[in-house]
Amino acid sequence: MTQKGNLHYLTDQIWSSNQVLVAVLGICSALAITNRLSVALTMSLSVTFVTSCSCFFVSLLRHRTPPSVRMITQLAIISVFVIIIDQFLQAYFFAIWKVMTVFVGLIITNCIVMGRCEGMAKNVAPWPAFLDGMGAGLGYGLVLMIVGAIREFFGFGQLFGIQVVPVSWYASAVHPNAYENFGLMVSPPAAFFIIGMLIWISNATVTKEA
Amino acid sequence: MSQSPPSAPSNLKVISFIIALSFICALVLSILASVLREPQEIARELDRSEQMMMAARILSPTGFFQVKEEDKYVPAKLEKGHQLVAIKAPEYPDRRELFDVYRSRLIPMLVTKDGDLATFKEAGIDEQEYVNENKKRGYYTLPYMLVYKILPNPTSEDKTPIGYVIPINGYGLWDAIYGYLAIAPDGDTVIGISWYDQKETPGLGAVITEPQWQSQFPGKLVFEESPDGTTDFQTAPLGLTVIKGKVSEVMGSKPKAKSSIDGIPGATLTGNGVTSAYQDVLAPYRPFLMKLQKAYEEAQ
Repeated sequence: MTQKGNLHYLTDQIWSSNQVLVAVLGICSALAITNRLSVALTMSLSVTFVTSCSCFFVSLLRHRTPPSVRMITQLAIISVFVIIIDQFLQAYFFAIWKVMTVFVGLIITNCIVMGRCEGMAKNVAPWPAFLDGMGAGLGYGLVLMIVGAIREFFGFGQLFGIQVVPVSWYASAVHPNAYENFGLMVSPPAAFFIIGMLIWISNATVTKEA
Repeated sequence: MSQSPPSAPSNLKVISFIIALSFICALVLSILASVLREPQEIARELDRSEQMMMAARILSPTGFFQVKEEDKYVPAKLEKGHQLVAIKAPEYPDRRELFDVYRSRLIPMLVTKDGDLATFKEAGIDEQEYVNENKKRGYYTLPYMLVYKILPNPTSEDKTPIGYVIPINGYGLWDAIYGYLAIAPDGDTVIGISWYDQKETPGLGAVITEPQWQSQFPGKLVFEESPDGTTDFQTAPLGLTVIKGKVSEVMGSKPKAKSSIDGIPGATLTGNGVTSAYQDVLAPYRPFLMKLQKAYEEAQ
Protein backbone atom coordinates (compact mmCIF):
# COMPACT_ATOMS: atom_id res chain seq x y z
CA MET A 1 0.00 0.00 0.00
CA THR A 2 2.92 2.30 0.74
CA GLN A 3 4.08 4.28 -2.24
CA LYS A 4 7.05 6.53 -2.50
CA GLY A 5 6.13 10.10 -1.83
CA ASN A 6 3.40 9.39 0.72
CA LEU A 7 5.57 10.56 3.53
CA HIS A 8 5.06 14.21 2.68
CA TYR A 9 1.50 13.83 3.99
CA LEU A 10 3.04 13.41 7.41
CA THR A 11 5.93 15.85 7.26
CA ASP A 12 3.97 18.75 5.74
CA GLN A 13 1.62 18.79 8.68
CA ILE A 14 4.32 19.12 11.27
CA TRP A 15 5.55 22.59 10.41
CA SER A 16 4.82 24.06 6.98
CA SER A 17 1.08 23.46 7.15
CA ASN A 18 0.77 23.00 10.89
CA GLN A 19 -2.88 22.93 11.85
CA VAL A 20 -2.52 25.17 14.86
CA LEU A 21 -0.11 27.70 13.39
CA VAL A 22 -1.32 27.90 9.81
CA ALA A 23 -4.97 26.90 9.95
CA VAL A 24 -5.38 28.19 13.53
CA LEU A 25 -7.44 25.17 14.55
CA GLY A 26 -7.50 23.46 17.94
CA ILE A 27 -6.74 26.67 19.82
CA CYS A 28 -9.18 26.02 22.67
CA SER A 29 -7.42 22.96 23.97
CA ALA A 30 -4.02 24.50 23.31
CA LEU A 31 -4.96 27.22 25.78
CA ALA A 32 -6.56 24.98 28.34
CA ILE A 33 -4.13 22.14 28.87
CA THR A 34 -0.66 23.53 28.29
CA ASN A 35 0.34 24.70 31.75
CA ARG A 36 1.98 21.36 32.49
CA LEU A 37 4.11 19.31 30.10
CA SER A 38 2.82 15.96 31.34
CA VAL A 39 -0.76 16.96 30.56
CA ALA A 40 0.23 18.46 27.20
CA LEU A 41 2.06 15.25 26.27
CA THR A 42 -0.92 13.06 27.14
CA MET A 43 -3.20 15.32 25.15
CA SER A 44 -0.84 15.32 22.16
CA LEU A 45 -0.65 11.54 22.09
CA SER A 46 -4.41 11.21 22.50
CA VAL A 47 -5.14 13.63 19.67
CA THR A 48 -2.55 11.96 17.42
CA PHE A 49 -4.15 8.59 18.06
CA VAL A 50 -7.66 9.91 17.43
CA THR A 51 -6.85 11.85 14.25
CA SER A 52 -4.76 9.12 12.65
CA CYS A 53 -7.19 6.29 13.41
CA SER A 54 -10.32 8.19 12.53
CA CYS A 55 -8.79 9.52 9.29
CA PHE A 56 -7.88 5.94 8.39
CA PHE A 57 -11.40 4.66 8.92
CA VAL A 58 -13.09 7.66 7.32
CA SER A 59 -10.93 7.04 4.27
CA LEU A 60 -11.67 3.32 4.33
CA LEU A 61 -15.39 4.03 4.23
CA ARG A 62 -15.13 6.94 1.80
CA HIS A 63 -16.73 5.10 -1.14
CA ARG A 64 -19.49 3.59 0.93
CA THR A 65 -20.46 6.66 2.96
CA PRO A 66 -23.57 8.36 1.56
CA PRO A 67 -22.73 12.07 1.08
CA SER A 68 -25.79 13.19 3.02
CA VAL A 69 -24.60 11.54 6.25
CA ARG A 70 -20.84 11.87 5.88
CA MET A 71 -20.45 14.34 8.77
CA ILE A 72 -22.34 12.20 11.22
CA THR A 73 -20.34 9.18 10.07
CA GLN A 74 -17.09 11.01 10.73
CA LEU A 75 -18.39 12.11 14.11
CA ALA A 76 -19.35 8.54 15.06
CA ILE A 77 -15.90 7.26 14.10
CA ILE A 78 -14.14 10.06 15.97
CA SER A 79 -16.24 9.51 19.10
CA VAL A 80 -15.42 5.81 19.15
CA PHE A 81 -11.71 6.57 19.28
CA VAL A 82 -12.14 9.32 21.85
CA ILE A 83 -14.03 6.92 24.12
CA ILE A 84 -11.34 4.28 23.59
CA ILE A 85 -8.68 6.76 24.74
CA ASP A 86 -10.75 7.91 27.70
CA GLN A 87 -11.45 4.35 28.88
CA PHE A 88 -7.83 3.36 28.39
CA LEU A 89 -6.54 6.29 30.44
CA GLN A 90 -9.09 5.52 33.14
CA ALA A 91 -7.84 1.95 33.40
CA TYR A 92 -4.08 2.50 33.26
CA PHE A 93 -3.33 6.17 34.02
CA PHE A 94 -5.94 6.99 36.63
CA ALA A 95 -4.17 10.00 38.12
CA ILE A 96 -3.83 11.64 34.70
CA TRP A 97 -7.36 10.61 33.76
CA LYS A 98 -8.79 12.43 36.78
CA VAL A 99 -7.27 15.69 35.52
CA MET A 100 -7.81 15.10 31.82
CA THR A 101 -11.19 13.41 31.45
CA VAL A 102 -13.00 16.66 30.66
CA PHE A 103 -10.51 17.62 27.98
CA VAL A 104 -10.19 14.13 26.49
CA GLY A 105 -13.96 14.05 26.02
CA LEU A 106 -13.70 17.36 24.20
CA ILE A 107 -11.27 15.97 21.60
CA ILE A 108 -14.49 15.17 19.70
CA THR A 109 -14.96 18.89 19.20
CA ASN A 110 -11.33 19.56 18.33
CA CYS A 111 -11.53 21.16 14.89
CA ILE A 112 -8.31 19.51 13.75
CA VAL A 113 -9.80 16.03 13.85
CA MET A 114 -12.87 16.82 11.83
CA GLY A 115 -10.90 19.23 9.66
CA ARG A 116 -8.55 16.48 8.55
CA CYS A 117 -11.36 13.94 8.08
CA GLU A 118 -13.39 16.35 5.98
CA GLY A 119 -10.51 18.10 4.27
CA MET A 120 -8.24 15.19 3.46
CA ALA A 121 -9.27 11.73 4.57
CA LYS A 122 -12.49 11.52 2.58
CA ASN A 123 -10.58 12.23 -0.65
CA VAL A 124 -7.51 10.00 -0.41
CA ALA A 125 -6.61 6.36 0.17
CA PRO A 126 -6.44 5.04 3.76
CA TRP A 127 -2.66 4.97 4.11
CA PRO A 128 -2.02 8.62 3.10
CA ALA A 129 -5.04 9.58 5.19
CA PHE A 130 -3.54 7.81 8.19
CA LEU A 131 -0.21 9.58 7.69
CA ASP A 132 -1.93 12.90 7.22
CA GLY A 133 -3.93 12.45 10.41
CA MET A 134 -0.84 11.39 12.31
CA GLY A 135 1.07 14.40 11.01
CA ALA A 136 -1.73 16.72 12.03
CA GLY A 137 -1.73 15.21 15.52
CA LEU A 138 2.03 15.43 15.82
CA GLY A 139 2.07 19.01 14.57
CA TYR A 140 -0.56 19.90 17.15
CA GLY A 141 1.49 18.03 19.73
CA LEU A 142 4.64 19.94 18.79
CA VAL A 143 2.92 23.28 19.39
CA LEU A 144 1.44 22.00 22.64
CA MET A 145 4.82 20.83 23.89
CA ILE A 146 6.55 24.12 23.01
CA VAL A 147 3.82 26.14 24.70
CA GLY A 148 3.72 23.71 27.62
CA ALA A 149 7.49 23.83 28.13
CA ILE A 150 7.55 27.64 28.13
CA ARG A 151 4.57 27.90 30.45
CA GLU A 152 5.74 25.27 32.91
CA PHE A 153 9.29 26.63 32.98
CA PHE A 154 8.31 30.22 33.67
CA GLY A 155 5.11 29.51 35.59
CA PHE A 156 6.33 26.81 37.97
CA GLY A 157 10.11 26.72 37.43
CA GLN A 158 9.71 23.07 36.49
CA LEU A 159 9.72 20.73 33.49
CA PHE A 160 7.65 17.53 33.67
CA GLY A 161 7.12 18.31 37.35
CA ILE A 162 10.87 18.31 38.08
CA GLN A 163 12.29 21.48 39.56
CA VAL A 164 14.60 23.12 37.00
CA VAL A 165 15.04 26.60 38.44
CA PRO A 166 17.14 26.07 41.59
CA VAL A 167 15.08 26.51 44.72
CA SER A 168 17.84 28.69 46.19
CA TRP A 169 17.18 31.36 43.52
CA TYR A 170 13.69 31.99 44.77
CA ALA A 171 12.63 35.03 46.74
CA SER A 172 12.32 34.32 50.43
CA ALA A 173 11.93 36.33 53.59
CA VAL A 174 15.70 36.86 53.57
CA HIS A 175 16.00 37.85 49.89
CA PRO A 176 12.71 39.46 48.96
CA ASN A 177 14.04 40.71 45.61
CA ALA A 178 15.13 37.35 44.21
CA TYR A 179 13.49 35.26 41.50
CA GLU A 180 9.75 34.67 41.45
CA ASN A 181 7.56 32.52 39.23
CA PHE A 182 5.79 34.39 36.44
CA GLY A 183 2.16 34.12 37.54
CA LEU A 184 0.67 34.98 34.17
CA MET A 185 2.20 31.88 32.61
CA VAL A 186 0.01 29.61 34.71
CA SER A 187 -3.20 31.14 33.39
CA PRO A 188 -4.58 30.46 29.88
CA PRO A 189 -3.98 33.97 28.43
CA ALA A 190 -0.24 33.23 28.46
CA ALA A 191 -0.84 30.54 25.86
CA PHE A 192 -2.45 33.18 23.64
CA PHE A 193 0.73 35.24 23.57
CA ILE A 194 2.98 32.25 23.04
CA ILE A 195 0.85 30.80 20.24
CA GLY A 196 0.65 34.25 18.68
CA MET A 197 4.43 34.45 18.61
CA LEU A 198 4.70 30.93 17.21
CA ILE A 199 2.31 31.90 14.40
CA TRP A 200 4.51 34.91 13.74
CA ILE A 201 7.62 32.73 13.56
CA SER A 202 5.90 30.25 11.29
CA ASN A 203 4.65 33.01 9.00
CA ALA A 204 8.12 34.46 8.78
CA THR A 205 9.85 31.17 8.01
CA VAL A 206 7.41 29.30 5.81
CA THR A 207 7.48 30.69 2.29
CA LYS A 208 3.99 31.19 0.98
CA GLU A 209 2.95 29.74 -2.35
CA ALA A 210 1.66 32.46 -4.55
CA MET B 1 -13.50 15.74 -5.15
CA SER B 2 -14.58 17.42 -8.27
CA GLN B 3 -16.72 14.80 -9.95
CA SER B 4 -20.20 14.56 -8.50
CA PRO B 5 -21.54 11.16 -7.46
CA PRO B 6 -23.58 9.45 -10.18
CA SER B 7 -26.79 9.53 -8.22
CA ALA B 8 -27.75 10.09 -4.61
CA PRO B 9 -28.16 6.82 -2.70
CA SER B 10 -31.69 5.86 -1.69
CA ASN B 11 -32.96 6.61 1.80
CA LEU B 12 -33.03 2.92 2.61
CA LYS B 13 -29.34 2.67 1.79
CA VAL B 14 -28.50 5.68 3.95
CA ILE B 15 -30.49 4.42 6.88
CA SER B 16 -29.06 0.91 6.70
CA PHE B 17 -25.55 2.38 6.47
CA ILE B 18 -26.08 4.42 9.62
CA ILE B 19 -27.63 1.49 11.47
CA ALA B 20 -24.73 -0.77 10.52
CA LEU B 21 -22.21 1.90 11.54
CA SER B 22 -23.88 2.49 14.90
CA PHE B 23 -24.05 -1.22 15.52
CA ILE B 24 -20.36 -1.71 14.82
CA CYS B 25 -19.38 1.28 16.98
CA ALA B 26 -21.58 0.05 19.83
CA LEU B 27 -20.10 -3.42 19.56
CA VAL B 28 -16.53 -2.13 19.65
CA LEU B 29 -17.23 0.05 22.66
CA SER B 30 -19.06 -2.59 24.64
CA ILE B 31 -16.26 -5.10 24.09
CA LEU B 32 -13.78 -2.45 25.20
CA ALA B 33 -15.83 -1.60 28.27
CA SER B 34 -16.04 -5.20 29.40
CA VAL B 35 -12.34 -5.81 28.80
CA LEU B 36 -11.29 -2.70 30.71
CA ARG B 37 -13.78 -2.99 33.55
CA GLU B 38 -11.47 -4.89 35.85
CA PRO B 39 -8.36 -2.70 35.49
CA GLN B 40 -10.60 0.36 35.86
CA GLU B 41 -12.07 -0.93 39.09
CA ILE B 42 -8.64 -1.75 40.46
CA ALA B 43 -7.40 1.72 39.48
CA ARG B 44 -10.39 3.31 41.19
CA GLU B 45 -9.90 1.29 44.35
CA LEU B 46 -6.19 2.04 44.38
CA ASP B 47 -6.94 5.75 44.08
CA ARG B 48 -9.45 5.58 46.94
CA SER B 49 -6.96 3.73 49.13
CA GLU B 50 -4.24 6.25 48.30
CA GLN B 51 -6.50 9.17 49.11
CA MET B 52 -7.44 7.59 52.43
CA MET B 53 -3.78 7.03 53.31
CA MET B 54 -3.05 10.62 52.34
CA ALA B 55 -5.77 11.83 54.71
CA ALA B 56 -4.23 9.62 57.43
CA ARG B 57 -0.79 10.95 56.39
CA ILE B 58 0.63 7.49 55.86
CA LEU B 59 1.19 8.58 52.27
CA SER B 60 2.58 11.95 51.23
CA PRO B 61 0.57 14.13 48.80
CA THR B 62 3.00 13.18 46.02
CA GLY B 63 2.62 9.47 46.68
CA PHE B 64 5.44 8.07 48.82
CA PHE B 65 5.07 6.47 52.24
CA GLN B 66 5.94 8.54 55.26
CA VAL B 67 6.40 8.01 58.98
CA LYS B 68 6.30 10.47 61.81
CA GLU B 69 9.62 11.13 63.50
CA GLU B 70 9.79 13.76 66.23
CA ASP B 71 6.63 15.51 64.98
CA LYS B 72 7.87 15.64 61.41
CA TYR B 73 6.90 13.40 58.54
CA VAL B 74 9.83 11.78 56.75
CA PRO B 75 9.86 9.49 53.68
CA ALA B 76 9.68 5.78 54.38
CA LYS B 77 9.61 2.50 52.54
CA LEU B 78 7.86 -0.77 53.12
CA GLU B 79 9.84 -3.52 54.82
CA LYS B 80 8.85 -7.05 55.79
CA GLY B 81 5.88 -7.45 58.12
CA HIS B 82 3.97 -4.36 56.88
CA GLN B 83 6.52 -2.10 58.57
CA LEU B 84 7.43 1.32 57.26
CA VAL B 85 11.05 2.29 57.82
CA ALA B 86 12.33 5.83 57.38
CA ILE B 87 14.64 6.46 54.43
CA LYS B 88 16.48 9.53 53.14
CA ALA B 89 15.18 10.09 49.61
CA PRO B 90 11.54 9.34 48.80
CA GLU B 91 10.86 6.12 46.91
CA TYR B 92 7.59 5.60 45.11
CA PRO B 93 5.81 2.41 46.09
CA ASP B 94 4.13 0.12 43.56
CA ARG B 95 0.51 -0.99 43.56
CA ARG B 96 1.11 -4.13 45.63
CA GLU B 97 2.91 -2.24 48.39
CA LEU B 98 0.19 0.41 48.49
CA PHE B 99 -2.55 -2.20 48.89
CA ASP B 100 -0.45 -4.06 51.47
CA VAL B 101 -0.06 -1.01 53.72
CA TYR B 102 -3.66 0.05 53.15
CA ARG B 103 -5.02 -3.35 54.23
CA SER B 104 -2.75 -3.69 57.23
CA ARG B 105 -3.09 -0.15 58.58
CA LEU B 106 -6.66 0.94 57.83
CA ILE B 107 -9.30 -1.29 59.35
CA PRO B 108 -12.97 -0.61 58.51
CA MET B 109 -15.22 -0.56 61.58
CA LEU B 110 -18.79 0.43 62.35
CA VAL B 111 -20.02 3.10 64.75
CA THR B 112 -23.45 2.96 66.34
CA LYS B 113 -25.61 6.02 66.95
CA ASP B 114 -24.49 5.86 70.61
CA GLY B 115 -20.87 6.17 69.54
CA ASP B 116 -19.76 2.62 70.19
CA LEU B 117 -17.38 0.80 67.86
CA ALA B 118 -18.36 -2.56 66.42
CA THR B 119 -16.76 -4.89 63.91
CA PHE B 120 -18.68 -5.96 60.80
CA LYS B 121 -18.90 -9.46 62.27
CA GLU B 122 -20.52 -8.24 65.48
CA ALA B 123 -23.08 -6.22 63.55
CA GLY B 124 -23.73 -9.09 61.14
CA ILE B 125 -23.11 -6.90 58.08
CA ASP B 126 -21.26 -7.92 54.94
CA GLU B 127 -18.37 -5.48 54.62
CA GLN B 128 -17.96 -5.49 50.83
CA GLU B 129 -21.65 -5.06 50.17
CA TYR B 130 -22.09 -2.38 52.84
CA VAL B 131 -19.14 -0.31 51.61
CA ASN B 132 -20.12 -0.52 47.93
CA GLU B 133 -23.85 0.02 48.26
CA ASN B 134 -23.91 2.98 50.62
CA LYS B 135 -21.20 5.12 49.08
CA LYS B 136 -23.64 7.38 47.23
CA ARG B 137 -26.16 7.63 50.06
CA GLY B 138 -23.50 8.41 52.64
CA TYR B 139 -22.55 6.11 55.51
CA TYR B 140 -23.44 8.81 58.02
CA THR B 141 -27.16 8.37 57.30
CA LEU B 142 -27.14 4.72 58.37
CA PRO B 143 -27.74 3.25 61.84
CA TYR B 144 -24.26 1.72 61.58
CA MET B 145 -21.81 4.32 60.30
CA LEU B 146 -18.47 3.59 58.68
CA VAL B 147 -15.16 4.57 60.22
CA TYR B 148 -11.63 3.39 59.48
CA LYS B 149 -9.33 2.72 62.39
CA ILE B 150 -5.73 3.84 61.66
CA LEU B 151 -3.32 1.36 63.21
CA PRO B 152 0.17 2.52 64.18
CA ASN B 153 3.22 1.47 62.20
CA PRO B 154 3.74 -2.12 63.43
CA THR B 155 7.21 -1.51 64.85
CA SER B 156 6.03 -2.36 68.36
CA GLU B 157 3.34 -4.51 69.94
CA ASP B 158 1.21 -1.49 70.71
CA LYS B 159 -1.98 -1.64 68.66
CA THR B 160 -3.78 1.44 69.95
CA PRO B 161 -5.26 3.29 66.97
CA ILE B 162 -3.43 6.52 66.08
CA GLY B 163 -6.56 7.99 64.57
CA TYR B 164 -9.81 7.42 62.71
CA VAL B 165 -10.82 8.15 59.12
CA ILE B 166 -14.40 9.24 58.49
CA PRO B 167 -15.76 9.09 54.91
CA ILE B 168 -17.23 12.44 53.88
CA ASN B 169 -20.08 12.93 51.42
CA GLY B 170 -21.36 16.24 50.22
CA TYR B 171 -22.40 18.38 47.32
CA GLY B 172 -20.09 20.83 45.61
CA LEU B 173 -21.19 23.26 42.96
CA TRP B 174 -21.71 20.74 40.14
CA ASP B 175 -22.02 17.32 41.63
CA ALA B 176 -21.48 15.12 44.67
CA ILE B 177 -18.04 15.27 46.29
CA TYR B 178 -16.49 12.37 48.21
CA GLY B 179 -13.57 12.52 50.55
CA TYR B 180 -11.98 11.47 53.82
CA LEU B 181 -11.31 13.20 57.11
CA ALA B 182 -8.74 11.73 59.47
CA ILE B 183 -9.10 12.64 63.16
CA ALA B 184 -6.59 12.06 65.94
CA PRO B 185 -7.48 9.76 68.90
CA ASP B 186 -8.53 12.83 70.92
CA GLY B 187 -11.60 13.02 68.69
CA ASP B 188 -10.95 16.68 67.98
CA THR B 189 -7.69 17.37 66.10
CA VAL B 190 -7.61 16.86 62.34
CA ILE B 191 -4.78 14.68 61.00
CA GLY B 192 -5.51 15.37 57.35
CA ILE B 193 -8.15 15.36 54.64
CA SER B 194 -8.53 14.38 51.02
CA TRP B 195 -11.16 14.34 48.27
CA TYR B 196 -11.14 11.38 45.93
CA ASP B 197 -14.10 12.07 43.69
CA GLN B 198 -15.36 15.48 42.59
CA LYS B 199 -16.39 17.28 39.45
CA GLU B 200 -15.73 20.89 40.50
CA THR B 201 -14.47 23.52 38.07
CA PRO B 202 -10.81 22.87 37.22
CA GLY B 203 -8.67 25.72 38.57
CA LEU B 204 -11.38 27.01 40.89
CA GLY B 205 -13.45 24.53 42.91
CA ALA B 206 -11.09 21.69 42.04
CA VAL B 207 -8.47 23.42 44.19
CA ILE B 208 -9.97 21.36 47.06
CA THR B 209 -8.00 18.38 45.71
CA GLU B 210 -4.68 20.25 45.77
CA PRO B 211 -2.19 19.37 48.50
CA GLN B 212 -1.40 23.02 49.11
CA TRP B 213 -4.98 23.83 50.07
CA GLN B 214 -5.40 20.58 51.97
CA SER B 215 -2.28 21.28 54.02
CA GLN B 216 -4.24 23.85 56.05
CA PHE B 217 -6.32 21.14 57.67
CA PRO B 218 -3.84 19.27 59.90
CA GLY B 219 -4.09 20.60 63.43
CA LYS B 220 -7.52 22.19 63.03
CA LEU B 221 -10.19 21.32 65.59
CA VAL B 222 -13.56 19.89 64.59
CA PHE B 223 -15.17 21.05 67.86
CA GLU B 224 -15.28 24.83 68.07
CA GLU B 225 -13.54 26.18 71.15
CA SER B 226 -15.37 28.48 73.59
CA PRO B 227 -13.89 31.97 74.08
CA ASP B 228 -12.36 30.87 77.40
CA GLY B 229 -10.20 28.25 75.67
CA THR B 230 -12.14 25.19 76.79
CA THR B 231 -14.39 23.08 74.62
CA ASP B 232 -17.87 21.96 75.55
CA PHE B 233 -18.07 18.77 73.52
CA GLN B 234 -21.79 18.34 74.23
CA THR B 235 -22.89 21.59 72.62
CA ALA B 236 -19.97 23.08 70.67
CA PRO B 237 -20.59 23.51 66.92
CA LEU B 238 -19.07 20.52 65.14
CA GLY B 239 -17.40 20.86 61.75
CA LEU B 240 -14.82 22.72 59.73
CA THR B 241 -15.80 25.97 58.04
CA VAL B 242 -14.42 27.17 54.73
CA ILE B 243 -14.73 30.94 55.04
CA LYS B 244 -14.52 33.75 52.52
CA GLY B 245 -11.02 35.15 52.48
CA LYS B 246 -8.08 34.22 54.66
CA VAL B 247 -8.59 32.91 58.18
CA SER B 248 -5.74 34.98 59.62
CA GLU B 249 -7.23 38.18 58.20
CA VAL B 250 -10.92 37.54 58.86
CA MET B 251 -10.80 35.75 62.22
CA GLY B 252 -7.50 36.83 63.72
CA SER B 253 -7.01 34.84 66.90
CA LYS B 254 -10.69 34.16 67.61
CA PRO B 255 -11.33 30.59 68.78
CA LYS B 256 -13.27 29.91 65.59
CA ALA B 257 -10.06 30.41 63.59
CA LYS B 258 -8.95 26.98 64.84
CA SER B 259 -11.92 25.40 63.05
CA SER B 260 -11.81 27.54 59.89
CA ILE B 261 -10.12 27.14 56.54
CA ASP B 262 -9.08 29.77 53.96
CA GLY B 263 -11.63 30.12 51.18
CA ILE B 264 -10.79 29.62 47.53
CA PRO B 265 -11.24 32.81 45.48
CA GLY B 266 -13.87 32.20 42.81
CA ALA B 267 -15.14 29.02 44.40
CA THR B 268 -17.39 30.20 47.22
CA LEU B 269 -20.09 27.65 46.41
CA THR B 270 -17.64 24.75 46.47
CA GLY B 271 -16.39 26.07 49.82
CA ASN B 272 -19.93 26.20 51.17
CA GLY B 273 -20.47 22.64 49.93
CA VAL B 274 -17.34 21.49 51.74
CA THR B 275 -18.43 23.26 54.94
CA SER B 276 -21.88 21.68 54.94
CA ALA B 277 -20.44 18.29 54.03
CA TYR B 278 -18.32 18.34 57.22
CA GLN B 279 -21.24 19.64 59.27
CA ASP B 280 -23.75 17.06 58.03
CA VAL B 281 -21.42 14.09 58.17
CA LEU B 282 -19.83 14.83 61.54
CA ALA B 283 -23.11 15.52 63.38
CA PRO B 284 -24.11 11.85 63.80
CA TYR B 285 -20.52 10.99 64.77
CA ARG B 286 -20.65 13.40 67.77
CA PRO B 287 -21.29 10.67 70.40
CA PHE B 288 -18.40 8.66 68.96
CA LEU B 289 -16.03 11.64 68.99
CA MET B 290 -17.11 12.51 72.55
CA LYS B 291 -16.35 8.98 73.70
CA LEU B 292 -12.93 9.18 72.05
CA GLN B 293 -12.30 12.48 73.80
CA LYS B 294 -13.34 11.07 77.17
CA ALA B 295 -11.13 8.00 76.81
CA TYR B 296 -8.24 10.19 75.67
CA GLU B 297 -8.58 12.49 78.66
CA GLU B 298 -8.70 9.58 81.08
CA ALA B 299 -5.55 8.12 79.56
CA GLN B 300 -3.67 11.40 79.98
